[in-house]
Amino acid sequence: MCLVSELLSCCCSGLYRLFRMLLVLSEDHKEHLSFLPKVDAAVVGEFGRIALEFLRRGSSPKIYEGAARKLCVPVEMVQHGVEGLMYLMTESSKHMISEEDFLDSVLVLGFGEDLNQTLLQLYLQHHNQIRSILRQLPSSLPAYHNLEWRLDVQLASRPIRQQVVPMLTMRLLLTGGGDLSRKVLQTDPSTLLHLISTLEAALAAIKTNHARRIFRNIK
Amino acid sequence: CREGCSLSPIRPPSDQSSYQVLVDVSFRSLLSSHADPGVLDQPELKRVDQIRLKQSHTAATTFILEAVKHNADESTISSCLEELSFSADRIEVFYSTHQKHRRELQLLLASIGRCPPQINDASWRLQYHVKNDQVNKVNEPFYLIALNTENKGSSEDINFTCTVEQLQDLVGKLKDAAKSVEKASQM
Repeated sequence: MCLVSELLSCCCSGLYRLFRMLLVLSEDHKEHLSFLPKVDAAVVGEFGRIALEFLRRGSSPKIYEGAARKLCVPVEMVQHGVEGLMYLMTESSKHMISEEDFLDSVLVLGFGEDLNQTLLQLYLQHHNQIRSILRQLPSSLPAYHNLEWRLDVQLASRPIRQQVVPMLTMRLLLTGGGDLSRKVLQTDPSTLLHLISTLEAALAAIKTNHARRIFRNIK
Repeated sequence: CREGCSLSPIRPPSDQSSYQVLVDVSFRSLLSSHADPGVLDQPELKRVDQIRLKQSHTAATTFILEAVKHNADESTISSCLEELSFSADRIEVFYSTHQKHRRELQLLLASIGRCPPQINDASWRLQYHVKNDQVNKVNEPFYLIALNTENKGSSEDINFTCTVEQLQDLVGKLKDAAKSVEKASQM
């Protein structure tokens, strides 16, 4: 049993080296990136930072204009350079390509060794962050953010006095497409207990053998 | 309740059977008739002067609503009706009918008015996020929760996703709320 699994793992790592993940860069993409060797390493680093901000918060024309002025180049060149860099980073992070594969992929751009190393450092430093940003993107459904609650007792209302009605007022905060939505909801104590037992059953579902088997085998 | 008495110049019809019918009809028109104008078309009420009948009916329903609204007790209702020269029998008839329908009327009144949507139920799905087009491999379980809410008859589902940790957070907060309800009920 032991030998078989050892053999299998050796084969797997060998196969991995056979099936390399090389990025295929389009002509446009290569052209956009061709701007990079013309500036110093510090500027490339700065562009990397702008590219990351772009991913997080979107681009701002003022930043491009400022950089273009300092470098005495047209704004489009800066914009394309940053966008090209960003695309290179996101594609590499998305596929989790190895150092080797990354260097081989950028080789095709014909940059010097130093620039290649700078790009590699950028990738290594930021790829985890980029993956976590990308992971949050596809959600079209609102996601849970927080629940605030309070317990009130209703004593009277316009149509009826002398009431004693306990009620749970809640504010459910959901994120969806960047901004927070707030929903005010109410429930009574017995429904609250029903909700708790329903959602506890949901949590228990993760611990079943069925679920565990799926998590173990889909990797 | 004093106001209720002064607002309703109830002048009940002279014979006992039409009185009983009028009382029943008054309660029924609040609860089940849904503003049906034919509610006064009872054979026992045909003999009564129709204008006086309508006035008495309006006064009676107003009085009933005020009594329920302020949760009036037996002595208050009795003294009000005594002031209007109701006989002891008639007060008894009115009060016993009132007791029969009181709870239902209270629920009806309590349901009037605006309030936030009420949560009735929750449903959930557990899914395993394998991958998507932005990130090649995700491999994470997540939940899709739907809270079924109702507001004035129309129901709406609030849908959201959450991770395992977030669901634990949500359940924890709901349990805190339940604990506080229990503590409050013991005070």
